[in-house]
Amino acid sequence: MKMIKAVNITKRFDRLTAVNNVSLQVDKGQIFGLLGPNAAGKTTVIRMLCGIIECDEGEISLNDKNIKKAKTDFGYVAQHFGQYEDLSVRENLQFYAQMYNVTDEQRLQSLLDRYELTKFRDNLAGTLSGGYKRRLALACALAHEPEILFLDEPTAGIDPLTRKLLWDDFYRLSTEGKTLFVTTHYMEEAQRCHQLAFLSAGEKVAEGTPETIKHALNNAIVYSTNIPYLPKLRDALIQMKGMMLVNQFGNELRLVVTSQITQTELESIIHSVTGKPVPLQVSEPNLEDVFIALTQKEIDSPC
Amino acid sequence: MLMAIIKKELLQLRRDPRLIGLIVVMPLLLLILFGIALKLEPQNVKMAYYDGDRSFFTNLIKTGLWSDGYFDLYEVASKEEIIEEIRSGHAKAGLYINNEFSALLIDNQQPHITFFVDGTMPSLTTAMKYNSNSATDESVTNDMYFTDAEAENVVIAQDPFIMDTEILFNPDEKETWFFLPGVIGVLIMQIALILTGISVVREREKKTLEQLLVTPMSKTTFVIGKLLPYIIIAVADFYFILAAGWLLFDLPQPVSHLLLFFLALIFVAVMISLGLLISLIARTQQQAMFIAIFIIVPSILLSGFIFPLEAIPDIVRPISYVIPFTYFVEIIRALLIKQTHFQDLITSFVSLTAFALLFVSVSIVKFRQTL
Repeated sequence: MKMIKAVNITKRFDRLTAVNNVSLQVDKGQIFGLLGPNAAGKTTVIRMLCGIIECDEGEISLNDKNIKKAKTDFGYVAQHFGQYEDLSVRENLQFYAQMYNVTDEQRLQSLLDRYELTKFRDNLAGTLSGGYKRRLALACALAHEPEILFLDEPTAGIDPLTRKLLWDDFYRLSTEGKTLFVTTHYMEEAQRCHQLAFLSAGEKVAEGTPETIKHALNNAIVYSTNIPYLPKLRDALIQMKGMMLVNQFGNELRLVVTSQITQTELESIIHSVTGKPVPLQVSEPNLEDVFIALTQKEIDSPC
Repeated sequence: MLMAIIKKELLQLRRDPRLIGLIVVMPLLLLILFGIALKLEPQNVKMAYYDGDRSFFTNLIKTGLWSDGYFDLYEVASKEEIIEEIRSGHAKAGLYINNEFSALLIDNQQPHITFFVDGTMPSLTTAMKYNSNSATDESVTNDMYFTDAEAENVVIAQDPFIMDTEILFNPDEKETWFFLPGVIGVLIMQIALILTGISVVREREKKTLEQLLVTPMSKTTFVIGKLLPYIIIAVADFYFILAAGWLLFDLPQPVSHLLLFFLALIFVAVMISLGLLISLIARTQQQAMFIAIFIIVPSILLSGFIFPLEAIPDIVRPISYVIPFTYFVEIIRALLIKQTHFQDLITSFVSLTAFALLFVSVSIVKFRQTL
């Protein structure tokens, strides 16, 4: 069953087309990841799906209903902390629950427990650390037991441990049958999603499972080798016609090229710059290779 | 470093065109408005008169009062009616001439006429007393001297008649009585506008609005939910300030506590809903503050609170009547000082209620459930 369905949605702000003709479908119980660099239009998409921005064109349905009728079917955690900083943790949770006519104190207590907020229940939300604010936001969004959860960059600026805990929870929600729609630009998070879509400059550029999306570069080939970062080498490689991505990870250099560049050409250029022969290996493309290669037109300099 | 801060502040100001509009256009508009509007010369003050004599002489007096455009005279049936007209606010002044005027005048017996003044507005009272001199002007009295052929010539002619001035409702011309009821309104206006003026825009700035908009609340729920708590607080505040006025400045008790309560409730509702409307229009808290000031300053100056409405020129006068505070000032003075009856205040009460309904409905329409 399709819990989220967006057909050809478009949003323009003045002259800028923030989202252009994007269609998305998410099955029940899935974790769907929307990936894209900053300003690709992720937040605009998620806000349109939640009905707080109207789309200029296209149709959206949630749980087979029009958004206005589906307001109790979903919860939303905005990118910025949107709960009341001058209310306590419990007061915030009670407020959001009551906005959906939920007054079951036991349920709220179980949410506080689940997100380890019980010890902070009487603290003002503004005094919580970033990680606990995120947990509170999540608890508030879940107060009315929605079928669908929209999370706009739920782990941005969160430490790896909390991030892992949050993701454990996302999986738990997903096994409970909830549908999650997550935006992110972390590759390790993208890897955890059931389905992914890449957004670049407002357009959907790829879509699939983390496995299938790795082949979205079609005929591109990925080479890797161990070599320390050399600015001169990078400049020489980047000028080659057919070079899609030059990406350095510590001592690992990864090159994504179209089939018009051969391995010998690459090796000879590296040899001429470094003065020594450096053998290249053909590797599997990873998500980051695909992500950067597909979206780099929008980021000025890769790597 | 200093220059860097100065430059940064200027750059930030420049990024808010609406604010620039407010700090350039607002003072200019108000300057022009007040330049035209603020005069201490009342014109066409309504004056109820009873002329029992109806003679050539009394006509001279009336013409004297009317000719300079200070007073707009109309006739009533008795002395009591003159006072009632002033109590109800239809007239601000009155003139009573009894039926013996000509007889006494011809007899050189110095008849008395009575000039009534509404004492609730000292600035108007003073101006009216001054302008009433036109009744005893030489051009009026020249034809009123009757010399007895056998009498001795008098060196200094005494005045042919005497005009007594009677100040109604605030006989001691206490300025606290005049200003204090209005001051309460000004304070409530400020409190209400600032309280709610930032209420929505703060949610917008703090990003809590986005989180609120996804909930299934309706526009009406949001608007009423935003209004009610502040209305209760501001009404309580109104009574708190009023109680202080009673304790510290010996302010009189109202003719009806029920009417006073209605006034407080309706006026507070008008101001709170206007504040909410500001909050829905403004994009930043700073803008909201400016719009509030833009409303408060003309309200104070054009409502009859300080300058009498009669002194505001006809072309600006309509603005006075679209200021809710104008009706508040009129009603609270009537209730506390003039002890006016309810039927004479119905129009003002209805006007205030209409403002409240207007602002609430515009707020509901204006509130958008999208960012």
